[in-house]
Amino acid sequence: MGREAMLELREVGVCYRRRRWLRQGSDEFWALRDVTMTLQRGETLGLIGRNGAGKSTLLRILAGIIRPDRGEVRAFGHQATLLSLQVGFVPHLSGRENVFLSGLLLGLTWRRIQAEMDSIVAFSELEGFIDEPIQTYSSGMRARLGFSIAFHADPDILLVDETLGVGDAAFVKKSTAVMRERMRSDKTVALVSHSPGSIRSLCDRAIWIEEGTVRSEGEPAKVLDEYEAWVEAR
Amino acid sequence: MPLSAMSSSPPPVPPGRREHFDRYLRLVVYKTYAELKAESERTYVGFAWWIAEPVISMAVYYVVFETILDRGTEDYAVFLFVGLVPWRWLQTTITHGASAILGERSLMQQVFLPKILLTWTAILADSFKFVVVFALLLLALPAFGYPPSAAWAWLPVILAAQFLLITGVTTLVAALTPFLPDLRIVLENVVRLWFFLSGVFYSVDVVGAELEPYLQLNPMTVILEAYRDVLLHARAPDSVPLFAVGAASAVACVLGMAVTRRFDYEYPKLRF
Repeated sequence: MGREAMLELREVGVCYRRRRWLRQGSDEFWALRDVTMTLQRGETLGLIGRNGAGKSTLLRILAGIIRPDRGEVRAFGHQATLLSLQVGFVPHLSGRENVFLSGLLLGLTWRRIQAEMDSIVAFSELEGFIDEPIQTYSSGMRARLGFSIAFHADPDILLVDETLGVGDAAFVKKSTAVMRERMRSDKTVALVSHSPGSIRSLCDRAIWIEEGTVRSEGEPAKVLDEYEAWVEAR
Repeated sequence: MPLSAMSSSPPPVPPGRREHFDRYLRLVVYKTYAELKAESERTYVGFAWWIAEPVISMAVYYVVFETILDRGTEDYAVFLFVGLVPWRWLQTTITHGASAILGERSLMQQVFLPKILLTWTAILADSFKFVVVFALLLLALPAFGYPPSAAWAWLPVILAAQFLLITGVTTLVAALTPFLPDLRIVLENVVRLWFFLSGVFYSVDVVGAELEPYLQLNPMTVILEAYRDVLLHARAPDSVPLFAVGAASAVACVLGMAVTRRFDYEYPKLRF
């Protein structure tokens, strides 16, 4: 396709070590062994694989939260953020205060948060409650606020892990709809999912990760077929 | 667009370093505010505890040393309080700081942020509480027969030296506990020993000429003596040790920040 690369990984490996003092040995676990991949501008890339295959670690590498123990990551000055719901929420603070706290954590500037406040509140449908402490909220209300902030953060590269959390049924529908819209637009997205259906319908390309390495890559339909055949054969 | 490799040299800072600086600054201030508010809402009388706690611990030491052991010095209650308030600033900040990075594991795994911000938040929250109590102490002193004197001009110097000391120790502790959580238990006892060696409830000259020089190597002894010189005796403190404490602590601050920065991308990987 010859499009612009937003992020490039070359032979990336990530190792979690559990150091045990005064105990025999130290266990090393390579969550990623050898991953080479590119995330291109405007695409929605699906990441599939079983639990513990290294998908979440890969997202953390893409988000710049951790760095590889071997290999190389090239960012090109873009902001990549994990869609983190309710990050940094403090129960004793009001909804509005939590918007500031969570928004700052997600990379929004103070001015942006002020400018977007009305829109964030409106989207979460919490107009009457936004100045109440969030410990008085139901878990559904909290989830709505969390999603609304994360959605407004709108980074250059959006990294999404699994499904969109909880909330009442109507809101799940609404949040899923706006997420899908964003993925179909020119947004650069990496999506981790267990659901072959959403990868098939949303992604331009898919990567199958198994035991920390790329097993297959390409058209979602092709990659998913290989993955499903392999899962069934086991 | 500049091609910057994330695995070497500076972290990926998207356009506008100033914007990031502004965001981080506000984040520290806001998180500090959140912590203070959450803490005061957790108890019934809220921040009245900030004042009640040191008063209660002063009363405990007073009963033990003055009433039971009869070892109290002149005007012992004021003497104790002037020692306890700055001591508690150090103790609470270090204890709190030991969990500053360690306790934010889930946050660290969701967003990138320089981990030193977490340490600074802990330091700022406890320092704010100290400032409130210390201000009340200064307001109360004249009522106990210790009016302001010219020596009070030394207070900013003493406060700065202690702030550096606290920041130095806390950044180092916060940077290391994620690698060795057991350190927190060791630390608790080290801080207790430090308390007994710092002359909070006794004047260091009671230990005798042989031991006193060793106690003077303890930075907290220097700091507490300086507070008492200024507040209780209206005289200038011994300035050389005070500046030595400040300088050594500044080195510790730089070291602690460097260690934290070095492991910025390692902390989220630790499994504790």
